[in-house]
Amino acid sequence: MSLFSRFMDGWRKYRKPGYYDEFDYHWTMTVDLDSCTGCEACMTACQAENNIPLVGEEELAKGREIQWIRVERYWEGEYPNAKLNFLPMMCQHCDAAPCETVCPVSATYHNQDGLNTQIYNRCIGTRSCAVYCPYEVRYFNYYNHHWDSPLDQQLNPDVSVRGKGVMEKCTFCIQRIREAKDLAKDDGRRRVRDGEVQPACVQSCPTKALIFGDRKDSESQVYQSMNNPRAYKVLDELNTDSSVVYLKKVDA
Amino acid sequence: MPNIDRREFLKLVGAGGVGAGAGFMLRESKKDPTEYLIPYVVAPEDFSSGIATWYNSVCSMCSAGCGISVRTREGRAKKIEGNPSHPVNQGRLCGMGQAGLQVLYNPDRITEPLVQTGDRGSMSFEQITWENGLDQLADRLELLRAARRGNSVSFLTEGVNGHLAQLIESFMRQLGSNRLLHYDFDHPHTLYAANQKFFGQDHLPYYDLQNTNLLLSFGADYLTNWISPVHHSIGFGTSRQRQAEARGRFVQIEPRMSASGAAADEWIAAIPGTEGILALGMANHIVSQGNYQGVDRADWSAALSDYSPSQVAEQTGIPESTITRLADEFSETQPSLAIGGGAAANHSNGVDTLVAVNVLNYLAGNVGREGGLLFNPPPAGTVSRPHQASYRNMLELIEAAHQGEIDVLIINGTNPVFTLPAAAEFREALAEIPLVVSTSSFFDETTVLADLILPSNSYLESWGDHFPEAGVGFPVGAVSQPVVSPLYNTRATGDIILGLANKIGMSSTIPWTSMEECIKAGWRRIYERGDTQTLAQGFDEFWTALLKAGVWGETTNGSTSFTPDQSVIDSVSVAAPEFSGSEQDYPFILHPYLSPNFHDGRGANLPWMQERPDPMTSVVYGTWVEINPTTADELGLIEGDLVDIESPQGQLRAPVFVYPAIMPNVIAMPIGQGHSEYGRYAKDRGANPLEILSPQIEQITGNLATSATRVRIVATGRHIDLVKTSGTSRDLGRDIVQTTGGEGHEVSDARLNSIPITELT
Repeated sequence: MSLFSRFMDGWRKYRKPGYYDEFDYHWTMTVDLDSCTGCEACMTACQAENNIPLVGEEELAKGREIQWIRVERYWEGEYPNAKLNFLPMMCQHCDAAPCETVCPVSATYHNQDGLNTQIYNRCIGTRSCAVYCPYEVRYFNYYNHHWDSPLDQQLNPDVSVRGKGVMEKCTFCIQRIREAKDLAKDDGRRRVRDGEVQPACVQSCPTKALIFGDRKDSESQVYQSMNNPRAYKVLDELNTDSSVVYLKKVDA
Repeated sequence: MPNIDRREFLKLVGAGGVGAGAGFMLRESKKDPTEYLIPYVVAPEDFSSGIATWYNSVCSMCSAGCGISVRTREGRAKKIEGNPSHPVNQGRLCGMGQAGLQVLYNPDRITEPLVQTGDRGSMSFEQITWENGLDQLADRLELLRAARRGNSVSFLTEGVNGHLAQLIESFMRQLGSNRLLHYDFDHPHTLYAANQKFFGQDHLPYYDLQNTNLLLSFGADYLTNWISPVHHSIGFGTSRQRQAEARGRFVQIEPRMSASGAAADEWIAAIPGTEGILALGMANHIVSQGNYQGVDRADWSAALSDYSPSQVAEQTGIPESTITRLADEFSETQPSLAIGGGAAANHSNGVDTLVAVNVLNYLAGNVGREGGLLFNPPPAGTVSRPHQASYRNMLELIEAAHQGEIDVLIINGTNPVFTLPAAAEFREALAEIPLVVSTSSFFDETTVLADLILPSNSYLESWGDHFPEAGVGFPVGAVSQPVVSPLYNTRATGDIILGLANKIGMSSTIPWTSMEECIKAGWRRIYERGDTQTLAQGFDEFWTALLKAGVWGETTNGSTSFTPDQSVIDSVSVAAPEFSGSEQDYPFILHPYLSPNFHDGRGANLPWMQERPDPMTSVVYGTWVEINPTTADELGLIEGDLVDIESPQGQLRAPVFVYPAIMPNVIAMPIGQGHSEYGRYAKDRGANPLEILSPQIEQITGNLATSATRVRIVATGRHIDLVKTSGTSRDLGRDIVQTTGGEGHEVSDARLNSIPITELT
């Protein structure tokens, strides 16, 4: 087999949903669009938990914001029948992630839990991943951002602060997952219990529109939720095989 | 009823709940960590390196009183989450509540007591000691008290309740002053007055959103700012997540779509100020269709005779068919619930509008039943609710200042120079007061005009307690405890008052030396009343359990039955709203609304809130004017065009945002920006629509009718690029947000990943 055909073989396999079935966990989030009110509590929770820098008005005007989770808004119809739909958007942790295949230094890869992870100190800032991401959820540090003292005292010691030239994005609060796994191990349990890990956004959501858990556990809340008949994936036609499942808004 | 029922709740509290820590004592954490190679030889009990300690406390960012759990590491606050055992917010918390960390660690905090050495407003403050600062004020108070002129002392505070409110009250009584004012810009005066008028109750009922099948909201943005938004959001979510056939329906009636309007199933725009008339039109239809069968049917029929759907359709601009459809739906759906507030209540007829909303609830049989409106029992504990100052009360204070009746004004945590319209002339009144003292921890617009600043702690460094205003159907109280030691040389407001009381010699009635002691004594009284349902043995155990759980409650119920008096029925009517400014000169109605990010402006100094996109427009760091697309077309305006908004009282400048869901003759502006002071993040950003409001008053409460100002739009010919995070606001066929039909929620049978993968060859 030639090198090229081996590559093609791997590629074909890789781009198929279900390629990864050997995960320890398969962390998944569901977003109920019928419950989301666009309040953005999730955004502040994420900023606080993950040491996300503020870029300031000037940088924002250039589209250089850093918001691991954001709430998108789509208007429909005209006055007086105008409607506004909200859609929380964060890294979809695709199992066939377009961003992973293009990184020249493998700074972004898939881990054993089905998470799409970013190794900050391997990243050289080519921004290819951000170009390839169809969800536009990768954010680049154009500068070394700082926190006006003493705002830096709030920084979460469990999460590293990213410097200039590094790409960053939602991690599903991997630090919380690690902590829960450690606790489970200390307790002599083999697995993390359902509900034991909640990313900051899920924890804060006032309408409980976000659900997080391990989809390999058929008893888990997230498993039940993703089998709701309203379930769909955003831009599913791109075959990204994402780990974030949306529940359609009910148009009553 | 809330998710946490009484029995479960008491179990949690009695057993000690989820909290871990009680009372923070870590003085050393003030020092620079690099001073210690080994931080502690013997670490404090609640300090383990690398392990988080959680403290339960109370959020003070708005008056809802959500319980919070604060995560601390190595003596620093890292994250605020909701307290899962607090029945108001059940572990959830809004964005502004979470941003409380940036109040604590804000770089613009006042760190020392200060005295003004130059002219007022010149910012030439000089640092003094607490001893000196308290002496300066106490000496003046003592002189006035001795001269029997105690009443020339005025205490103007943000709305506080619990034992701090009692302490302030008792302090002012000792001084011989009755000029104690609790002032919050957004206090729902009209809602209290309407419930007083209709139900004869001086506290708010519990609105059971969670169990209702149809919610009609007349202007109340219940998901963002109305009374207890996190609690309502929980109710909304629960209702949405019920089994398909039981999914609750939400209808929102308001001139400009709010977040609650976007979440609703149906959004209806009535002519501003006619919401109450609309409610009575629906009431008329319910009675005339025989859907109300009470014995006082004839009285209602007579009282509502002027509000036939056809007449009401003309006045409100809503088709008759819609009015009758909603009325039928409202009486047939069981249980249903009507609520009112926001802009609908901020007109000259605000109280009558909200009475009309109560009428609807009464006629549909929603009063006193689950899924409707339940009466709250009297507040928990023995703590009375302080009276809140209305706009008229503030004018009285201003008048008294002009008459030279005020010698000392102490301002705590409220910023009337920003939240009162320029027409009230509060700034001018301050100039007439010989001594102005502020206990604010920020240089807000009011504090820069003070002679003496005795800076208070942030709420995360203070002792306190809170008895949630709206309640959850049973009485609840929560204790607020310091989660970190004070960062600076500041003191809790309560401790400042205790310090003054001590110096003036009030120790017989105010014996405590610290706020912690005062709070503890207050809770001892609550415990010793004897009817505290707790498993704790003795007060110390109760206190520890309380601090751990952060919350406590009783199992009393409110009454469930209610029949209105004949006189109440006869008095039901809603007059047409009055606006200031003629329609000819000022063709638009200004609709100022509380910003989801900044509330009444208090959140504008929090960088997280500044950089968080507005939920509806995605604009950051600024103010904008929302204009209907058709109107914008007619005026030749596009997004980003700078316009002058002129009212009879003044003008301001802001960029246009073309907003798809606002009435053509209404323009809307968020409240919160436009600070001339208040720290680096807030200063000189955007405009404050409150400045140009006409002083139109709601007659019954004396509340400022903030939605009753007419304005005109003058294009300036200048243009800026609005800074916002979203690109196009339309889906453009990408099918990103997908919807499914309502009837039986039929869904497509398309399965996930159903699209075949293109084979690479």
